[in-house]
Amino acid sequence: MAEPSRILNYVDERFFVRDLRAKSKDGVLKELAEYLSQDKDVRDATLVLEMLRKRESLGSTAIGSGVAIPHGRTLAIASIKVLFARHQKGIDFESPDGAPVHLFFAIVAPPQDRNNEYLPLLGTIAELVKEKKVRGMLMKAATFADLRQILEGWGDE
Amino acid sequence: MSDGRTLERLQKLSHLQDIELMIREAEDTKTKQREEEMGFTLQGLEKLRAAREKWRNQVDPKDLRVFDRIAKRHPRAIVPVEDRICLGCYMALPTSINPATADPDRLMTCENCGRILFWLE
Repeated sequence: MAEPSRILNYVDERFFVRDLRAKSKDGVLKELAEYLSQDKDVRDATLVLEMLRKRESLGSTAIGSGVAIPHGRTLAIASIKVLFARHQKGIDFESPDGAPVHLFFAIVAPPQDRNNEYLPLLGTIAELVKEKKVRGMLMKAATFADLRQILEGWGDE
Repeated sequence: MSDGRTLERLQKLSHLQDIELMIREAEDTKTKQREEEMGFTLQGLEKLRAAREKWRNQVDPKDLRVFDRIAKRHPRAIVPVEDRICLGCYMALPTSINPATADPDRLMTCENCGRILFWLE
């Protein structure tokens, strides 16, 4: 697995969302797109949302154990961004195990990323959240500093 | 060029291109396999293809003709502009091309590569 600390190159404090308010799957996608649109590299929040919706129609991005990784490429973004968000109550995200989703990592990338980082990054995150201990820590993370600590510390164990 | 109607036209074409790219990646055996190994499902390809057709009907037929013509030469028919550089061919755009003064009825294209420019001011 690539170093989880690499994820920190793509996430910042604005992309740490402690409590999502949405009450549905589509509501979560809307909220994620809204948070992402705070970045100057996001040219169009509407396009980000539509891309995320279409990706879900291809198959749910929930991977079980309360985790979903909505992702995709869109012209609306200039560089790769990763957003972490949590939903305390949990949302039905059509997960393969039927469990509600609490933890979200949204990854959006431009159509062509020069260093071909998108898929390896997606793989790193998918691998990371398979660890029960990590999921537990992510559920408790109260600040961006906590998230940073989790991502920096995990690869060293 | 930066009126609301133009933005809407560019959004429609850009979304069409995003869908095209998603379909291409889902059809690519290597990418599909990698995503499935990560735990994702990509079983809705037919649904996505149907969504593409539905979406094509939402696009202005004139714009769609331009898009399809360019897409035959370049898989990414519409590209962003950064610092007056076309991100399709990476050539600088001449000062005569300006979104503020462009004809709102015509899509702006790169004089060098011919791609549609996603450029708003």
